[in-house]
Amino acid sequence: MNSRKKKDAAWYALFVLPVLAVFTIIVIIPFVIGIGYSFFSWDGLPVHEKKFVGLDNYVRLFSDTRFMVSAGHTLVFTLIAVVLINLLGLIFALVVTSKLKLRNILRTMLFMPYLIGGLILGYIWKFIFGEGLKTIGETIGRTDLFFNWLVDKDMALVALIIVATWQMAGYIMIIYITGIQGIPDDVLEAATVDGAGFWYTLIYIKLPLIMPSFTICLFMTLSNCFKIFDTNLSLTGGGPNNATEMFAMNIYNEIFKLNNYGYGQAKAILFLIVVAFFTLMQVSITKKREVEM
Amino acid sequence: MKLRNSIINVLLMVLGIVYLFPVYIIVVNAFKNRAELYENILALPKVMSFQYFAKAMDKMDFGRAFLNSLIVTLLSLLFIVVLDSMCAWMLARRDNRLSRFIFMTFVATMLIPFQTLMMPLLQVLGFFRDRMGITVTDTLGGLVFCYIGFGAGMSVFLFHGFVKSVPIAIEEAATIDGCSKLSVFFRIVFPMLKPVTMTVIILNVIWIWNDYLLPSLILYSKKNRTIPLSTANFFGQYTIQWNLAMAGLTLTIIPVIIFYLCAQKYIIKGVAAGAVK
Amino acid sequence: MKKKLVMAIASIMSIGMLVTGCGSAATGSAAAGAAEAENKDSQVAGAKVDASEVEGADEGSAAAEDKIIIFQSKAEIQDQLEDCAESFTKETGIEVEIWGTTGDDYQQQLETKLANNQGPTIFTQQSGDILLRLKDYCADLSDIECVKDIPEGLTADITLDGKTMGIPYTMEGFGIVYNKSLCDATTLKSTDDFVNLIKEQNAAGVKGFELTSEDYFLIGHIMNTPFALMDDPDDFIAKLAKGEAKMADQDVFKEFGELMVAVRDNCDNPLEQNYDGQIGDLATGKAAMIHQGNWCAGMFGDYEFEDAGMAPLPLAGNDKLAVSVPYYWAVNASADPAEQEAGKQFLTWLYTSETGKSYLYDQFGFVPVIKGDVNENLDVLSQDMQSYVEAGRTIGWNMAKWPANSINVYFAPLAQEFFTSDMSADEFINRLDEAYAEAIANQEN
Repeated sequence: MNSRKKKDAAWYALFVLPVLAVFTIIVIIPFVIGIGYSFFSWDGLPVHEKKFVGLDNYVRLFSDTRFMVSAGHTLVFTLIAVVLINLLGLIFALVVTSKLKLRNILRTMLFMPYLIGGLILGYIWKFIFGEGLKTIGETIGRTDLFFNWLVDKDMALVALIIVATWQMAGYIMIIYITGIQGIPDDVLEAATVDGAGFWYTLIYIKLPLIMPSFTICLFMTLSNCFKIFDTNLSLTGGGPNNATEMFAMNIYNEIFKLNNYGYGQAKAILFLIVVAFFTLMQVSITKKREVEM
Repeated sequence: MKLRNSIINVLLMVLGIVYLFPVYIIVVNAFKNRAELYENILALPKVMSFQYFAKAMDKMDFGRAFLNSLIVTLLSLLFIVVLDSMCAWMLARRDNRLSRFIFMTFVATMLIPFQTLMMPLLQVLGFFRDRMGITVTDTLGGLVFCYIGFGAGMSVFLFHGFVKSVPIAIEEAATIDGCSKLSVFFRIVFPMLKPVTMTVIILNVIWIWNDYLLPSLILYSKKNRTIPLSTANFFGQYTIQWNLAMAGLTLTIIPVIIFYLCAQKYIIKGVAAGAVK
Repeated sequence: MKKKLVMAIASIMSIGMLVTGCGSAATGSAAAGAAEAENKDSQVAGAKVDASEVEGADEGSAAAEDKIIIFQSKAEIQDQLEDCAESFTKETGIEVEIWGTTGDDYQQQLETKLANNQGPTIFTQQSGDILLRLKDYCADLSDIECVKDIPEGLTADITLDGKTMGIPYTMEGFGIVYNKSLCDATTLKSTDDFVNLIKEQNAAGVKGFELTSEDYFLIGHIMNTPFALMDDPDDFIAKLAKGEAKMADQDVFKEFGELMVAVRDNCDNPLEQNYDGQIGDLATGKAAMIHQGNWCAGMFGDYEFEDAGMAPLPLAGNDKLAVSVPYYWAVNASADPAEQEAGKQFLTWLYTSETGKSYLYDQFGFVPVIKGDVNENLDVLSQDMQSYVEAGRTIGWNMAKWPANSINVYFAPLAQEFFTSDMSADEFINRLDEAYAEAIANQEN
């Protein structure tokens, strides 16, 4: 029995350890070092002194209104964007897995935005919001609704949500497609024979069977939205008046612009704890709902 | 019914085209100079000349950059797919506390903003170089090594989610037949994971191919530049050399689109094959 | 030994199997017993092998004096610099490697690399706060021959404790850049003149004046003028830092606030304009004046536009252009001494040899900083600037003396709020004081 156990452990190690080892070196160790720095006051240059300040950086966080405001924006942005991206991604996936003739070309078209990196997209969209919306507003005489959204603090956030959704929906679609295609045809055929309509099939058969995709998509959109940076930087740059400064950008500014390395790390860690709590809860809840085949 | 379908088709087509509007802007402006771009960013170019493409290719040292990107992407992908699917399968099948802990660690790290890891990561790599004589920085292999680490979270997560759709009965039957774990995995499980493998490949290819930040930290020399690094000079602090940047961007994404079109066929085939079972 | 061998076979096989589809995996189980303990090591080793394979022939970094690395931030001269480096290698045999980056993330990349001992030999340095921060990485360049031929005024900002830590790239100046076919901004004598000209041009259907949304073009540069007009700008900045002075108590700043209100009320919202569009407007005659510097002349070519001039912003009667050195070449003091020497040799060559100078002046289009040098091929705006410099009609730049990155992080957001609200001139200046204090407080943490 003992040798059997040993053998099992060896198999386990063979399958899990290779990637875990690389992962530990590249991600875990740097992360732990980062946690260490969050207890220091340091500007990031080794020639300068690191001063141990204990939990001061963390205490300071709670009186940092700019950080709190930024965290608030990030939450609002993430909440709305996650819902929109998943809704749109799922609809796209359903459309392109249907029997429509155009499904193949559509699939490519919808996925295209993700092929283009975030930085340049921001510049392109900046133009669309700047010139495009303004022209529409002037043409149809509704300048109150169609103007350069990027200069208005509420609408700039809307703009950021639109661009993020546009970019991510196709990406998430790919994962939903994988899920939908994993549904055995006989199940769907049986449903059709039993006289189930489109909506019935969708709600009672397809959706429960793609629960694993939900878990994954929700989590991936959550993590991507929380970390949004490129698009934020190039589209709004955090403006106007910091109204769209998302969390990652706030940290980036703290570390690389204001040179408060330790404090920036503390911000990152606090936020990570909060976010991890919510998302891991989400993962374990949706995981429980998955149907075993 | 037929009419309804064609209306839906037309509507979807319109939607698709609207959706791709920004891509149109990128392509047409690869043909314009600053004055023409300023005049009307939306208009088709007055002259269809590929001079900016030629110039961009020359400045980017496109051949070399393309080869570097290709090597990095392919190698990273090979390791990511094999190692991560193995890991995810084992974690999903041995569902004990350790597995759950490891899995959650993979997942949780997807939330860490890369910006906070940059400095410590270089320290770790510096440690390798100074204390162990392993040069990770400024080598393509080192970059691949980093991608294996950074890609692990998402890929293990994806594989893990879809392992459950592989019927466990077949695996058990194979084990009883005397197959080792490795052969059970590679002969039976891995082929059945094909749809999710394709997903993992597609998402990782795009990420690695377009990534700027990580290579900009790891690679310095000109001879090692990947495609995104080679376009960096088109981006000044306040203005962009639009035509070159757009041409460069178009050149960057064409290979990915071709790849995606090929991969897409494969997905559909894979599904058809899966349906027969 | 045997364990390692088996392990190696197993890992090669597992990859092989993917390539070949599915091979026999029977040996795998034998290897697995040994796997657990060895796995971590072999993984690292695997990556190493892999790295050297891809790398192939590496020139090797041991012979540092034969090779220098240049990392610089001005994307506009990057191509020319690469040609220049080739010429240098041809003449001296020293290899030069040039690292590139986007203009935006240069500083962050530089600092990350310096911090990890992977810094370049020569890098771009700026004066002020960044110099204080990186001074330990900047070698003393006073012993370079040509540094003595640079007027003291141009190296003053980069000199600390008697050490000259950088060689100026060029000179840059900013002020009002105007379209000569529409107006003549050199006649302006006061803020009122300026505002009147804006109104006059507006009435004629031309945009009188434009600022743009980029942080420096929105607030950074234009806010320099009131600072430079203080009797002793450095003293004023020092007092601001200590909280002993306030902008709101200075008449010049009050007038600056009013000027900004006039700009807001009479011009398009700068947040809706960008640098590219602004230059387009000026060059095509849609705008009469913009607040810019001689660097923008490089963009005129595509419009075949030459009819431009540069004039001072006439705040409080100011008749001087803001001229300074934007960037300096610095040599990495943490590099190997021989490498530093090679770096200095490159700079000497660039500033004194015939070939070097031809790159510096003809290719980079730099304004000479060495006494007695002339550049015949200056662009229109640099020519204007040159004549102000010769007449001694210049004021300095103070942006770098403000707390690090205060423009991006504090002043620009405030300016964005200012341009999208009806904030009064007084309130604007008071808020600037607050933002300045906040930037100082943050810096001290």
